[in-house]
Amino acid sequence: MLLINNLSFFRDENLIFENLNLSLGNGQITQLRGKNGSGKTTFLKVILNLLSSKTGEIFWEGQNINKNIFNFYNQITYIADHNTSSRKLSVLDNINFWKGLSSSNLSNDETLLLLETFNLKKYLNTETMYLSSGEIKKLELLRLILEQKKIWILDEPYNHLDDSSIEILNQTFVDHTNNDGIILFASHYNPAVNDLEILEFS
Amino acid sequence: MIFIKKIFLFFKRESKLFFRNVVDLFSNILFFFLSIFIFVFALGADEQLLKSIGLGIIWSLLLLSSTLSLRKFYEEDFNSGVLVIIHMRGISYELLVFLKILSHFLFVQMPFLISIPVASLLFNLPTSEVYNLMFTFIIGSLILSCLSSMSASMNLLNKANYSIGGIVVMLFSIPVIIFSVGINEVGSDYKSLINILLGLALIFLGISPWVSAAFIKLALRNK
Repeated sequence: MLLINNLSFFRDENLIFENLNLSLGNGQITQLRGKNGSGKTTFLKVILNLLSSKTGEIFWEGQNINKNIFNFYNQITYIADHNTSSRKLSVLDNINFWKGLSSSNLSNDETLLLLETFNLKKYLNTETMYLSSGEIKKLELLRLILEQKKIWILDEPYNHLDDSSIEILNQTFVDHTNNDGIILFASHYNPAVNDLEILEFS
Repeated sequence: MIFIKKIFLFFKRESKLFFRNVVDLFSNILFFFLSIFIFVFALGADEQLLKSIGLGIIWSLLLLSSTLSLRKFYEEDFNSGVLVIIHMRGISYELLVFLKILSHFLFVQMPFLISIPVASLLFNLPTSEVYNLMFTFIIGSLILSCLSSMSASMNLLNKANYSIGGIVVMLFSIPVIIFSVGINEVGSDYKSLINILLGLALIFLGISPWVSAAFIKLALRNK
C-alpha cells in the first residue's frame, strides 16, 4: 500500500499543490485529472522523489520511502510523457536493455508475442527514430509488462494511441489490478475502466 | 552478480550507441587533422620551427577537438529521461557518472591515440617524443574526460550559451598541458612529471563523480 500524507510542493514560492492526501491500496487504479499546468506531472515526480516536497511524507508498506529509496524504486515502473527509448538504437536493443536493467525473467518468446500484440514485431531491427509517435508510445508502454513491477506510474499514457491500442492498454490495466497491482496515471483521456478512482487537480 | 550484469549492460548500450554515432568521431578526428594542416600552412615550411613547436600544437588541438563533443556527454540521456530510468533500476548517479567517464575515455578519447603518430609524422617529431606524447595522452585524456563530465553536467539546463562548457574544460586543463608538454624538456627525470599527472588524474577521477552527480540532481530538480 502506498500512502501519501499531507504533501505540498512549491516552485520558487509558487504553490503548485498543498496538503494532498492519497492512499493507493492493492488492486486500485487512480486517475489524476486536471487542467494543463495544474501540477499533475509535478505530483507524479514528487511521488517518485525526482522533486522534493516542502512538507509531507510518502510511505510504501509502512516505511518512509526516503529511508531506502532503491527498495521503493524496485517496485515501480515509471512511464514518462516523453519517450525514453534511445532514438539511435533499434527496438530490440532498447527492449533488451530494459529487460536486463530490471532483471526481468520474461522469455524471448513471450517478448516476441508481446511485440506482435502491439504490432511492433516487423520493426524489431529498425532504429527507434524511424517509428511513428504512436508506435514509440507503444514501445514505451511495453516496459510495463517487461519490467514486471507492482506499482505503475504513468504520465499521459493515452497520448498518440489509436483505438485498438487503447483497448489493449485498458485490458492490461484491468489485468494488472486483478493481480493486486497499483496503477496511478495522469491523463486528459477518460478511459472506460471499471472501479476507476479519480483525483481532481485544481 | 545482478549489479555487475547491469554495469555490463550499460557498456553494451554505450558501445552500440558509439557504433551508431561513429560519424561524429570521424568528424572530430577530421577536425583535428585539418587544423594541423592549417597550422602547417600558416607557419610556412620551416622544418626546424615545426619540429620545435609541433608537440605543443598537437596537444592544444587534441584538447580543442575533445571539447567539440562536450554537449553529447549527458544531454541526450538527460533530455530523454534515460538517466532517471537507469537510476531507478538501482544505480546511483555517482556510479553512473563514473561509468560514463570510463565509456567516454574508451570510446571518444582512445581513438585519438591512433591519430597521434600520424599527426607527429606531419611535424617530423623524433620517436622518443612521440612515445612521450602517447603516454601522456593516455593519462591526460582521462583527466579531460573527467573535466568534460563536470562541464557537461553543469550545462544540462543551459540551452543558450554553447561556449561556456568549453571554457571550463580549457581552464582546468592548463596544468595537464604544462606537465604533458614539459615531459620532453626535463630529459631523463621525467618520472616526477608522470607522477604529478597520475596524481591529477586520480584527484579528478575521485571528485568528478560527486561533482557531476550533484549537478545532475540539481538539473533534475529544476527541469
